[in-house]
Amino acid sequence: MRLFFFATALSVCAVSGLFAQKPTQLKPVSFVSLNVPEPSDICYSAVTKSYFIASDSGYLSETDRDGKVLQQTPLMVSDFEAVATDGEFVYAIDETRRDVYFFNPKTLAIERVVNVPFSGGRNKGYEAMVYNKVKNCWILITEREPVILFEADKEFRITNKVDLSKIATDISAATWYNDAIWLMSDMDMILFKINPKTYAVEGKWYLPVLNPEGITFDENGNLLVTCDDMQRLYYFENPEKK
Amino acid sequence: MKNYILALASLATATSFAQLTLSNGHHVLELTGEVSAYYNYRELKSGEFDHKKDRFKLRDAQIELEGRVGGDWNYELQVDFADMAAQNNGEEFDPENPGLMEARIKYKGLRFMDVEVGYGKLYYSRASLVPFDYSAFWQRAELVRGSIFSQRDVGITVMKNFWKQRANIYLGAYTGLGEKSLGGDNDPSGNPEFIGRVDVSYPARARFRDIDDRHSPIPLFALGVNGRFMNKKLPDGEVFPTDAYGEYGWKVVDGKRYVYGFDASFMYMGFSGSFEMHQIKAQPQHADDPLFLNTTPDQNHGYVLMGGYVAQLNYFVKSARTILSARYEELDLNDLNPGNSQRISGAIAYQIQGYNAMVKLQYFNIIKEESIDPLKWENQLRLGIQFQFK
Repeated sequence: MRLFFFATALSVCAVSGLFAQKPTQLKPVSFVSLNVPEPSDICYSAVTKSYFIASDSGYLSETDRDGKVLQQTPLMVSDFEAVATDGEFVYAIDETRRDVYFFNPKTLAIERVVNVPFSGGRNKGYEAMVYNKVKNCWILITEREPVILFEADKEFRITNKVDLSKIATDISAATWYNDAIWLMSDMDMILFKINPKTYAVEGKWYLPVLNPEGITFDENGNLLVTCDDMQRLYYFENPEKK
Repeated sequence: MKNYILALASLATATSFAQLTLSNGHHVLELTGEVSAYYNYRELKSGEFDHKKDRFKLRDAQIELEGRVGGDWNYELQVDFADMAAQNNGEEFDPENPGLMEARIKYKGLRFMDVEVGYGKLYYSRASLVPFDYSAFWQRAELVRGSIFSQRDVGITVMKNFWKQRANIYLGAYTGLGEKSLGGDNDPSGNPEFIGRVDVSYPARARFRDIDDRHSPIPLFALGVNGRFMNKKLPDGEVFPTDAYGEYGWKVVDGKRYVYGFDASFMYMGFSGSFEMHQIKAQPQHADDPLFLNTTPDQNHGYVLMGGYVAQLNYFVKSARTILSARYEELDLNDLNPGNSQRISGAIAYQIQGYNAMVKLQYFNIIKEESIDPLKWENQLRLGIQFQFK
């Protein structure tokens, strides 16, 4: 009898979950395998017309749209989880040591390193970065438990923080496109469009790819997603075309 | 004293649902921990009256220090004060809860492979390697919880991954005394145990996890094979350290012992499953070894086998933050004794805050038992909470 109640409880829980709703699903148009180990984030530079991919394994690579490596840093003792560019520098964050590296976009030489302390989990540090063009500040976001959005000035001094833990289990990437901030949740596989003034969610889409850790948009507004575990670069149409 | 208490209080506040990480730019140190407690109820067989297992129990009171020095050194120190307190109060040694859980360093500077030295989890058996905190169960399957073959030991492991981290190889040498190696000395044979494991996953690298909490959009598969060998023929008149044999007498053998097994697992859309099988072949040097169960050499041919398997299915109800798990296990504790044992177990875990705060309920049922391992109970329920500051 006890076993019967136990089984019934299991079934009720399972069925309630099977019918949960998901946001609109995006389908990848294509993908390529990357020659960058553990690709954790990607950004597009309108200046060099190329892409920069950060790697958990300690590389920063410049690639073309097809993922072909144009140049790459030597192996570094770093756990890069986020990358962004403003044209002047390519910035990459070492999640473990909380260091922001300033790379020369032409040579990939290190110009500066700035430490941005955060005492949360060693592997739950800064996972996403993007420049907020509306508020003229950098945004650094911690991965999870908790998901905190920090605003920082151009020297990466923290000036404000906002708790985003309620919108997703984690945040793995951020980018700027079409006057909005776009965030990616790796564990939920959800892409968010965020209001850059209020940080309120304005749209979300389900991306059925494993371990999506980086996002950017190309010149034509197509979405590019790097996947760490699969070591792939996926291509999607612009989410708002759906 | 007042400042000390204030410092402790501020540390406790700061660690709520988030571990602490300290860094000097070269050395990164992370502090984490866990407390868990449960209530256990046993339904005894008729004629049994010992209700000592109907009780509240502090299962874990752990502190873990994990760090990285430069790019070449990693280290880990994990201690469970609940286990130590239990042992200091005369409780029976539980191999799944040995007190000292990890004390090891890993050197990554060789680049072509990593070297790990110290005391900790052995790279044998996938189910043993899945961190306990990521499971809905309060107890691992009997086959893999350290009472038949050890889960931990002191020694050295070299490891290497290939093919975008989808393939891994681990090779190591250890004392062979398992959790009892913490006593310091080896047994009188002085011989080590050797362990090897190879696992492969596809289409992505796999981690030692039971639950598909991401609801993987593509099916993920992993396969592993592992083996271990010891030759611990004791000199005449010598014995193994107290309790080294383990609950069933298989953890060390006065002679040769081979252990081999394989595991397979999958994850897809919240569903996950695993299957794991092991067999031990022992060749005791003396014909009157207890493992031979008083059989003659003509009957036992100089060796004895034990084996078993565990099958587990899970579903993660993401919208309800609930893990559902069911497990079936079969054991043959000695092939010279007819019959085997069968157990099932079900578990539900509700995530209040991810894996960091979970209410867990586990149900145990003994379908069939072996005559050489009679139990006092038939059913058991365990309800409790785990809280990690991670």
